[in-house]
Amino acid sequence: MAGPLAPERAPETTTDAEHELDRPWVTVVWDDPVNLMTYVTFVLQELFGYDEQKATTLMLQVHHEGKAIVSSGPRERMEHDTSRLHAYGLWASYQRDS
Amino acid sequence: MTPFRRRGDRMEAGFVPAESAVLTLLLDELEQLLAGDGGAVGDPVVARLFPAGHASDPELARDYRELTESSLREGKAEDLALVRATIPVEGGAVRLDVDQARSWLRTTNDLRLALGARLGITAEGAPEDTDEAQLSVYHWLTALQGSLVDALVAGGSRPR
Repeated sequence: MAGPLAPERAPETTTDAEHELDRPWVTVVWDDPVNLMTYVTFVLQELFGYDEQKATTLMLQVHHEGKAIVSSGPRERMEHDTSRLHAYGLWASYQRDS
Repeated sequence: MTPFRRRGDRMEAGFVPAESAVLTLLLDELEQLLAGDGGAVGDPVVARLFPAGHASDPELARDYRELTESSLREGKAEDLALVRATIPVEGGAVRLDVDQARSWLRTTNDLRLALGARLGITAEGAPEDTDEAQLSVYHWLTALQGSLVDALVAGGSRPR
């Protein structure tokens, strides 16, 4: 039985402004003609602790689709992730998840 | 060049004197670029070394730049200094531990990004009229960096 503290979820009534606040931020790596595929995979493992398979999957997504989301979370953390990727020369940026 | 190979916890390569000289020259150029505050506006090399943090929002991109650019610049300068200090001046062996290898990876990548941007390299490769000498330097850097990545990975060095 749901008491007053556990109302039925009604996401369709959420306002746009509230929705904006709920949406997480993401860090995106973009395809780049210079960076080596092995290097991109290595950097994703190094910075995010991904295993080789996950890092390779993301690298291939960048290569074939032009970009991939490599992390998500609060804006400050995505800024930080972006700067760590920039330190390794990857072409990255952060944005609200769409 | 003898490409990087792993020996225990070290990455080792060998340069002939001319290779040490070319790499040192490239470091000089990169150092000047990093020291020049912001560089020429619209310079594709600077734009690639210090990308926009946000793709479409200029205000966020400006905030990001203010927040991160100086530490990014300092990190690149520190890596560059380490690479310079570990180049065999007269040619010979390069021996790196894992941390030094990370600095070499980042710096050789910056050199490739800078040269790639200057030569106009795209997914299709270099433009037809690209200077052969510059292009061979680019390919040399690619082989160097590629062998270093492979050597690090060969150690199962998922470093952290």
